[in-house]
Amino acid sequence: MWTTVIVSGISLGSFYTLIALGFALIYGVTRNFNLAHGELLVLAGYVAYWLWKSWAWPFWLTFPAAMVVLLLTGLILQRIFSRLKEPLELNSIVFSFGAAILIQNGMLLCFTGDYRLIRVPALHQGLRFQNFYISYGQFTLLFLSLLVIGLLYLIMQRTYLGKALRATIQDKDAAAMAGINVAAMGTIAFSLGAVLIGLAGPLYGCIHYLYPSAGHEVTLLAITITIFAGVGRMRGVLLAGWILGLSESFAVIFLGASWREMVSAVMLLTLLVLKPRGILGNKP
Amino acid sequence: MIKSIKSRIKKLTFADSGLVLVFLALLLLPVLVGYNDYILQVLTHALLLATLALSWNILGQSGSVSLGHAAFFGAGAYGSALLSLESGLSPWSSIFLAGLIAIGLGLVMGLACLRLRGAYFALASLAFVEIPRVITDNWDGLTRGSLGLAGIPGLPSLHLGSWYLKIGSSITASYYLVFVYALGLLGLVGFLFRSNFGLALQAVREEETAAGSVGVRVDVFRMLSLLLSAFFTGISGACYAHLVSYIGCGLVYGIHFSALPMVLAICGGRFTILGPALAALILYPLDQFIFHPLLPAGHEFLYGLVLILTVLFLPAGLWGTIRKNA
Repeated sequence: MWTTVIVSGISLGSFYTLIALGFALIYGVTRNFNLAHGELLVLAGYVAYWLWKSWAWPFWLTFPAAMVVLLLTGLILQRIFSRLKEPLELNSIVFSFGAAILIQNGMLLCFTGDYRLIRVPALHQGLRFQNFYISYGQFTLLFLSLLVIGLLYLIMQRTYLGKALRATIQDKDAAAMAGINVAAMGTIAFSLGAVLIGLAGPLYGCIHYLYPSAGHEVTLLAITITIFAGVGRMRGVLLAGWILGLSESFAVIFLGASWREMVSAVMLLTLLVLKPRGILGNKP
Repeated sequence: MIKSIKSRIKKLTFADSGLVLVFLALLLLPVLVGYNDYILQVLTHALLLATLALSWNILGQSGSVSLGHAAFFGAGAYGSALLSLESGLSPWSSIFLAGLIAIGLGLVMGLACLRLRGAYFALASLAFVEIPRVITDNWDGLTRGSLGLAGIPGLPSLHLGSWYLKIGSSITASYYLVFVYALGLLGLVGFLFRSNFGLALQAVREEETAAGSVGVRVDVFRMLSLLLSAFFTGISGACYAHLVSYIGCGLVYGIHFSALPMVLAICGGRFTILGPALAALILYPLDQFIFHPLLPAGHEFLYGLVLILTVLFLPAGLWGTIRKNA
């Protein structure tokens, strides 16, 4: 049984990492907290659901569509974020909280409050080894998340763009002085982040019911993982995702499913209490 | 005496006379709307939201933005409802005790989160709501979990000799009760903000280190403002529970009651006394009378939109801007 719990925890954790990467990237490069992150993920899920249900698109084809829709939404949001004044972090929180309310109600209007799930029968079958079981759904989640995380890691480490992004994360002013277009890096971070959400959204719709206010929990997850990892540490994001996924799986086993929702909140509060100056407290 | 009143009246601005009109309209509202139950109910709720926004702003005055005031609202609502249902306390005492419960929760939140500043306090408060919510939701034996609490007793009648007021059953009476509460809270907030306490909070907000160096005990004042804010939010939550007689976990701990106080206070003007209350009196009726009939699902987009517009174009808030230009 333990192996099953651990496998499901790791697969969930990898998916959480995929969800949080966009948030971490946007925060790292632009210092904007995007509290509408979860709402965007649910929006991507709804786009996929709508195409799959009403237009009978094959499930895999909904990914590029959701990515395009999210890219456009992300770019619109970025235009507004870039107009915010200091204190940037606090103003971005207030603004994006408003955006989250707006998107939530927009989704309520377009898709009603009913619970919806993208049912792909193939994902519910599974493989059984001697004493452990993995469903194709979990396997897809694990495989796709790790693939995308790996790709993003390569981009960040090996390409010029990645280096420029990392330089902006580490020190905006120095990066600008070295000739990096910091404003363009912000746009790129938002685009990359939005595309990542677009990729994760349809998967989310497969493993979790879609309803307009579902995004709140996701936002909390993304914040927790980002703060746990610290700015600009991709490996840290993966580790944090796994720890959160495993803690949630164990919480479900030991305490019951209804306590799961508290795990990320408690983790975030503990982190903030231990590192009161937040992520930036790492800096000397 | 009369001269000073006259000179004061001369100094009254356009905005001031507007305020007098608003006050008179609210005072005479039941007569003006012909005791229309629906309108009175909406305005009662608007006044209750005004008390929430005013309470939020006590903490807001110290510069903290809380996204988690539903924690106090929910604790107040559940606390008072359970006390009056289980132990048969009169709602008046259970409402007061609910305020104390909210203070207890505020103390926990303060000890955990008040070391954080700005954005990080906001994030922590967002996470903090989950804890009382999940506990209330799972403590089936006491709180009946996701079923919610039904049949919460209404407010009892007030007796003064042979004259009595049926607050529990008359909508007009509950309207006036909340009106008096909102007015009292407004007076208290006005007094607090103009006292040394308010000046200290303002100093903490503007320049914390400087405030500390001239002897303002920063931590104490931030904690006090949080506790006061929690207390009145809890009281409002308790009033809400007795007014509507049914509460559920998802609602009273929900995003609605976390978001609205913040939205209203910021739109009205975070650093003003009246702004938050005015925003509640404008936005909630606008939402209920105009947008709700138009868009039964999704009418609350209004709050998101207004918040975004305020952050972008009116950082001082509505009343803050009017005051500055007056």
